[in-house]
Amino acid sequence: MYESIKALVDASMSTDTSISELMIQQEMTKNNVSREEVWQQMAHNLEVMEAAVKRGVEGDGVFSKTGLTGGEAVLLKKYREKGHTLSGDTMVEAVQNAIATNEVNAAMGVVCATPTAGSTGTLPGVLFVIRDRLNLSREQMINFLFTAGAFGMIIANNAMIAGATGGCQAEVGSASAMAAAAAVEAAGGNAEQSAEALAMAMSNLLGLVCDPVAGLVELPCVKRNAIGAGNALIAADMALAGCTNKIPADEVVSAMKEVGQGLPKALRETGIGGLAGTRTGVKMKVSIFGKSVPIS
Amino acid sequence: MSGNYKSVFDIIGPVMIGPSSSHTAGAVAIGRAANRIFGDVPTKIVVHYYESFAQTHKGHGTDYAIISGIMGFEPDDARVPNALQIAKDSGIEVQFIEEAGDSPIGHPNTAIVELSKADREITVAGCSIGGGTIEIRDIKMDGFHIKPKGPLPILLVQSDASNKNLIQEKLAKINTINYHAEYDAPGKGMLYEYDLENRLKEQDLSTLSQKHTKMVYL
Repeated sequence: MYESIKALVDASMSTDTSISELMIQQEMTKNNVSREEVWQQMAHNLEVMEAAVKRGVEGDGVFSKTGLTGGEAVLLKKYREKGHTLSGDTMVEAVQNAIATNEVNAAMGVVCATPTAGSTGTLPGVLFVIRDRLNLSREQMINFLFTAGAFGMIIANNAMIAGATGGCQAEVGSASAMAAAAAVEAAGGNAEQSAEALAMAMSNLLGLVCDPVAGLVELPCVKRNAIGAGNALIAADMALAGCTNKIPADEVVSAMKEVGQGLPKALRETGIGGLAGTRTGVKMKVSIFGKSVPIS
Repeated sequence: MSGNYKSVFDIIGPVMIGPSSSHTAGAVAIGRAANRIFGDVPTKIVVHYYESFAQTHKGHGTDYAIISGIMGFEPDDARVPNALQIAKDSGIEVQFIEEAGDSPIGHPNTAIVELSKADREITVAGCSIGGGTIEIRDIKMDGFHIKPKGPLPILLVQSDASNKNLIQEKLAKINTINYHAEYDAPGKGMLYEYDLENRLKEQDLSTLSQKHTKMVYL
């Protein structure tokens, strides 16, 4: 297994092999499976992501049981149709895809966790919009997921990807970094540029807390995926333009771990601090679960 | 580097019913581990939650998720959200306890599951480390008190001492043993624990289980 981003990038650059290909090879040897099996499973995961993005904008959209989230992917779609978006159609479409996916997740629909369910919209947010921008083939889309997974594994093994241990920076932060790196490869960038995109995307979200209202993966999780997707596209564009993060990717991952360990418990998926602890957040919790549930 | 995440599908996956990979899909996985260790459907289930699990299990659907796993469902099984009703209809007694203290196994997403039927009882302490991946850090079964390092896969084999070298040699040939421990229980013989680096192939697993009927693979 690649123990650092540097090791992965070096292997890719020195052998002129894409990160996605290196990931497929590692998966085959490590888990004793054929190329066909690995490919088919990823193709299936892609289908699940596609279905969630689609389901989120059908009819009036999907709504969670609590009513805290839902229907906003549809609002974005209708807004885009008017053609007057401020940040451009690509950006708002990415936001729409991300929100659609997380609305489906909050409504207990089927999703593919990338890397977690709370951050499940970030990767599809980016992937389906660059599919259209770059005319990606099915094969390139599947490769995008392998590349994202390769970087994600290193982040997960060297830091963390759970909000309860590292805050939202470990979830949406990691997802955004993975998406940025994979987008660079899909756009024809090299492994070094992917690592720069990852470093910039993660640096921009360092310190992001996990503060779900009522402990539900709804507020602010759904919209945090919008920022995860947008941030990934921005970081990928910066890397493709030749911008660099100056602090190497592996050190950014270490910093994310250290920041995560330093976050107080109230800001690590306990539903106590941050937005969960606001007057409105507490009111929502009481109205959903009743007064018998301890507030803190 | 922890090496907990061994497959690309730990990161791009699992395909699951929302809303949380750690509190829903991970909880299904802890339940499934308990299901394999118990090897039967229990009549009584007690779940102790700690820290983040204690605070947010209701919002995340952890209750139905963990019960789904105990009943052997996969994380993307459509029955997952209805598992509590299904358990109730099957006459299973279910209790959830929100513990106030810190996790006894040192992780904010901790669940300790007690399963019983007639005079048999097991306890499994698991934690959900993110993205649906779990660790199992403490198991009490059939008089043995097992303390794995945490990461899966873990193979537990109950056997007499004469088989010990055979199992170990076979495993060393097909896998890497990261950690090994032996447990002795009065009147029950020996239990061998192997924390492995890679998942076992189906074929190797069935060969091993033919020779050792009392085997649990997590």
